[in-house]
Amino acid sequence: MDLKLLEKLCELNGIPGDEGDVVDFIVSEIEGHCESWQVDPLGSLIVFKKGKETPKKRVLFSAHMDEVGMMVSYITDEGLLKVVQAGGIDDRAIFGRQVQIGKNRIPGVVGAKVLHHLTDEERGKALKTSKMYIDIGCTTREEAEALVEIGDPVCFVSDFEMLGKNRIKGKALDDRFGCAVMIEMIKKDLPYDCWFCFTSQEEIGLKGAWSAGYIVNPDIAVILETTTPGDLPGVSAPDDCCRLGKGAVVPFMDRATLYPRNLYKWAHTTAKERGIAIQTKTLVAGGNDAGAYQKIRGGAACLNISAPCRCLHSATVIADLGDIDAVEKLALIAAEELPNF
Amino acid sequence: MMTLEEKLRLLCEATGVTGDEGAASEVAADLLREYTDKVTITPDNSVHAIVYEAGEDKPTLLFDAHIDEIGMIVTHIDDDGFVRVGSVGGMDRRLLLAQEVVLHGTEEIPGVVLTRAPHLQSPEEHDKVPEVKDIIIDTGIPGDELKEILCLGDRATLKSRFVRLQGDHVSSKAMDDRSCAVCIFAALDELKGKELPVNLAVSFTSQEEITGTGATNTAYTLHPDVAIAVDVTNAMTPDSDKLKCSELGKGAAIGIAPALDRKIWKKLIALAKEHDIPYQHEVMGGHTATNADLIVTVRGGVRTGLISLPLRYMHTPIEVARLCDIEAIGKLLAAYALDPEL
Repeated sequence: MDLKLLEKLCELNGIPGDEGDVVDFIVSEIEGHCESWQVDPLGSLIVFKKGKETPKKRVLFSAHMDEVGMMVSYITDEGLLKVVQAGGIDDRAIFGRQVQIGKNRIPGVVGAKVLHHLTDEERGKALKTSKMYIDIGCTTREEAEALVEIGDPVCFVSDFEMLGKNRIKGKALDDRFGCAVMIEMIKKDLPYDCWFCFTSQEEIGLKGAWSAGYIVNPDIAVILETTTPGDLPGVSAPDDCCRLGKGAVVPFMDRATLYPRNLYKWAHTTAKERGIAIQTKTLVAGGNDAGAYQKIRGGAACLNISAPCRCLHSATVIADLGDIDAVEKLALIAAEELPNF
Repeated sequence: MMTLEEKLRLLCEATGVTGDEGAASEVAADLLREYTDKVTITPDNSVHAIVYEAGEDKPTLLFDAHIDEIGMIVTHIDDDGFVRVGSVGGMDRRLLLAQEVVLHGTEEIPGVVLTRAPHLQSPEEHDKVPEVKDIIIDTGIPGDELKEILCLGDRATLKSRFVRLQGDHVSSKAMDDRSCAVCIFAALDELKGKELPVNLAVSFTSQEEITGTGATNTAYTLHPDVAIAVDVTNAMTPDSDKLKCSELGKGAAIGIAPALDRKIWKKLIALAKEHDIPYQHEVMGGHTATNADLIVTVRGGVRTGLISLPLRYMHTPIEVARLCDIEAIGKLLAAYALDPEL
């Protein structure tokens, strides 16, 4: 994985429904490496990559561009911004963060009632997003309205950095990681024609995949994603679901999809034969764009290959470079073998 | 010469969790050397300076701000490299999950407070925030390697990015109480080249957030006749109790409390009026919860006043203050040094 590419992707801001900057960046990366691209009405970027041969099956790779964030919902008389979540964030991972608002990246901080004015009970209670506000340093509504509009996107500020020698941390790894894998695949010579969907609006219910999937009409959809391991100290199998550093996660089932047995088995057998670290989910948890692709135009057969990421849906998503490598390798083999599956 | 904002950034970015303030004290001491050569760092990490000497027969006035910041202390490192910590000072538990952390070992080690996966959480757990002792910090470094660069007792801070917001609002960790050190620098700028009727000492004291050791020892060593403590006070937000708050942008909050010297606060109010310096009242019935509570008790008693800087979101990595309030306090301190109530 080209970590510089991943860093650039993660530092773009793109909440669900506002993925334009991510589209522009990806287009700048892939132009010249693909046959054609288009942006569909919901903002997904659909790329057609010509291979050496046109296979009998149409294979689509998919990763979503949007990241969890917030939207400005109200501006108070005091010039503070109230927000709603766009995508599901744990309420407890929002207060006290630095954020950026809108295209001009107006800096702000997420504030709430100060600790010293809380009751003992309140100190131990999760603070809801509705009780927070963003302080951009304005003192009146008029002042704030000159800089910010209702509906403006709000994204976390978080450095993309190494944690130790083998892990990375950043915002939006869910799912710019998958986007990075696909950009690198598009830049390679592939044996067969493939489609790549960089979807919009996954975090608010797989919306982008519904439109992009209809347009491409794939036989097989391979979703490149991130997923949550529960591998804290003291949590062992099966409750951990999957573990960071133990390879690509290919599940048999999640909360949205029952994956076809043959593709699931293909992935696990192939990974083991090729020495690629692979694991499954030992619980039924999570979900991804496969939930849409399996139901579009008669349905595509879906395979999900994910990198386990700690603190998913936060400003501080953690991934392991070994897992990333495993996902990349398995995705590339999928592009070689699944068109004739 | 550095601007007040540049000094503030430098001070806020320095690390100095209570009881281990060395790095922040060095930065503060360096900044003080612009005004005097008589700067020392005490064995317990407080910074002392004699800024002006009017003569041995003249009384000594002390300006004090604390140099320590809240944070955490490493209590356990497991074989997988997960770190456990205790709270040092009043950490706000509501913001800990998925928070970026810096562990201050032999090098600065970035870490993240882990969240429990949604599938492991009951609805009740989702409504609670963990105790500091229960959070788990991931550094991505295997246990044996980590133990070579981090040991028990090392401090940790929440990561913060100093940022200028709109107008003159600034946000960072450790504004409590580095912003008040900057108030004192603003006063020293005003006093440059001026003749004072008193000896002027400055202290940036350690361990205000817990134990109060720095202020107590400093008041003994510097032996002031009169002292002014400078600390932060909660500034109003729409959800806070108006009666308990100061306001951002409304100037120096002059402390009014039983333990504070009545003549000093009246003088501060008179000076603010005389010099047209914005000010507000901060009335406290009992303790002030600042170094003033401690300084008053030392060496047979020190008459002490308190000036507070309005601050939002205290004890978070995104504390917000206004530069105009820092300037107002600087002016008021300077006016007091030139015309003190002794």
